[in-house]
Amino acid sequence: MDIFIILYYIINMSLNYQKYLQIIKESAIDLSSLDFLYPWDKVMVSLLLIESKDQPGKKIILPKNQDLLKYLKRMHLQEILKELAYIEEAEFDSVEVPEHYNLNLQELSHCKYRDEFDARLGHFLGMFLNFGMELNDAKLATAIVGELGNNVFDHNLGKWPTDVSGCIIAAQNFPKLKKIEFAIGDPGIGFLGSLKAAFPELDSDIKAIKKGLAGNTGRIGENRGNGLKYIQSWTIKNFSGMLTIHSGGGVVEVSEEKTSEYQGIKILGTLAQFVIYYK
Amino acid sequence: MIVEVRKFGNILNSRPSGREAVLISKQIINGSKDINEIALDFNGVEVITPSFADEFISGIKLLYPSSKIKIVGMENNPVIKEVLDSMEKDKDS
Repeated sequence: MDIFIILYYIINMSLNYQKYLQIIKESAIDLSSLDFLYPWDKVMVSLLLIESKDQPGKKIILPKNQDLLKYLKRMHLQEILKELAYIEEAEFDSVEVPEHYNLNLQELSHCKYRDEFDARLGHFLGMFLNFGMELNDAKLATAIVGELGNNVFDHNLGKWPTDVSGCIIAAQNFPKLKKIEFAIGDPGIGFLGSLKAAFPELDSDIKAIKKGLAGNTGRIGENRGNGLKYIQSWTIKNFSGMLTIHSGGGVVEVSEEKTSEYQGIKILGTLAQFVIYYK
Repeated sequence: MIVEVRKFGNILNSRPSGREAVLISKQIINGSKDINEIALDFNGVEVITPSFADEFISGIKLLYPSSKIKIVGMENNPVIKEVLDSMEKDKDS
């Protein structure tokens, strides 16, 4: 991978941390000064909305930038707001956006149950093909999505911290770069919450993420846990891509060249993203 | 004895589905006279995840320890080969 792409991601990660610190203001999520939201950002905002949904005075301040507002409506942010009972959902009523079918976008979608997620996998296969991937690459990318979703439901079953369960998904194709960003987040117990039972010595989110990436599971007495290892390997080896996992307050990013770790804002659950480059 | 895996779906994903597929396969296999060799035929399957594959293949092997379990029909689908090869490599390491 190009050194400039790596530098771009390092700078971007640091900017992201600053950006999220700026948008979280007590019980308000302030998007007013932003000009664009990547899939990662949209899922992150959704997780923040879930986290503060029961707080008195909860509020989201929508972007001033009208293009971004239209884009967020097209990405169905208002559906998430409606589900979580944010009154700002009504602000989208006056935003007019034709619901054109855009082959380069996957709208924000919340799969509350495993069956709902499984049923969407066929749609994701079609989405990767529409993005311009070759059939076998699209199948492998779908397997990556499937495995990421499996982790969400396998590790949080019976343990969801709030009354919101499931995973939130967003994706976008950047055709000029032949790059796809696919983000999937869940308001669950996170890596540390999942692995702590089997590895009580774990004392940080970053260590827990790295333990999970190495093929370990928190399910005591069960021979499983390699899924994330395969996802990592396929993302890097087959797509020259990058896998980023933000769980609790830790962020780990894995590419062919290196593994980076950062302290991020503290979130409820986990946000994972794979960035892949296609032929 | 051939188990046509595509009958469980062309996109095979979760561990619960894998477990259910093992239970159904057991009904099919037990009705056969020849279980010395069990072929799991992946022809027609488009996508398989490691979770399903692990649950399904390990489950069949556990149920029929004295049978020869053969994986067939993945020649035309590099993705299935990739998933199963990754799992195999992992067991060897």
